[in-house]
Amino acid sequence: MKKTMFILATVALGFSLPVHANGDYEAGKAKSTVCAGCHGADGVSTISSFPKLAGQHSDYLYRALKDYKAGKRKNPIMAGQVESLSDEDMQDLAAYFSKQKGLALKY
Amino acid sequence: MKTTTMTLCAAVLMALAMSAQAAGDPKAGQLKTSMCAGCHGIEGWRTAYPTVYSVPKLGGQHADYIVAALQAYKSGERSHPSMRGIAGSLSDQDMEDLAAYYASSYSGPAN
Repeated sequence: MKKTMFILATVALGFSLPVHANGDYEAGKAKSTVCAGCHGADGVSTISSFPKLAGQHSDYLYRALKDYKAGKRKNPIMAGQVESLSDEDMQDLAAYFSKQKGLALKY
Repeated sequence: MKTTTMTLCAAVLMALAMSAQAAGDPKAGQLKTSMCAGCHGIEGWRTAYPTVYSVPKLGGQHADYIVAALQAYKSGERSHPSMRGIAGSLSDQDMEDLAAYYASSYSGPAN
């Protein structure tokens, strides 16, 4: 019985972990050069129509990329950019940009 | 003649350029955040429907981008149900004010 609970707890923990995109920071950095053209070096965009990505939650960034790829979010520039990105690429990019210094929580 | 025409042209261009800038007021925006703060103002908060993911941070984001996002929710181009409902209730001025608030360093007398 105790053993069952332990197994259940382990399984539950396993399920709860992948909520955060588990991308590779260094791989994301290497893939981010294309993004810099609009979103700025390190995701701090200097052009006001392009959102800053630096410091944004990684799972939000990953979701945005997925939505662009699925056509749920529509933007001609982003639609073209995500076409060549794999799921792993998106997780890597999300991990990289989320760890840059930029956006902050504001009440 | 040439100078007058050039001056007029420059003045018109400047006026156009200025009106393209977000005309939001951060102080007015801060007073309109009651519907935003419950999700965007809480550390680690996640949206639960239709899928679970962290609500984006807004502090320091470009005002123009925030306005564009709100307009896209209002028009239905962006689909998050809660955001569509909230953006639908905002006027253009509300959006400009909220965007100016989140883009600025002003945090308001209440914070």
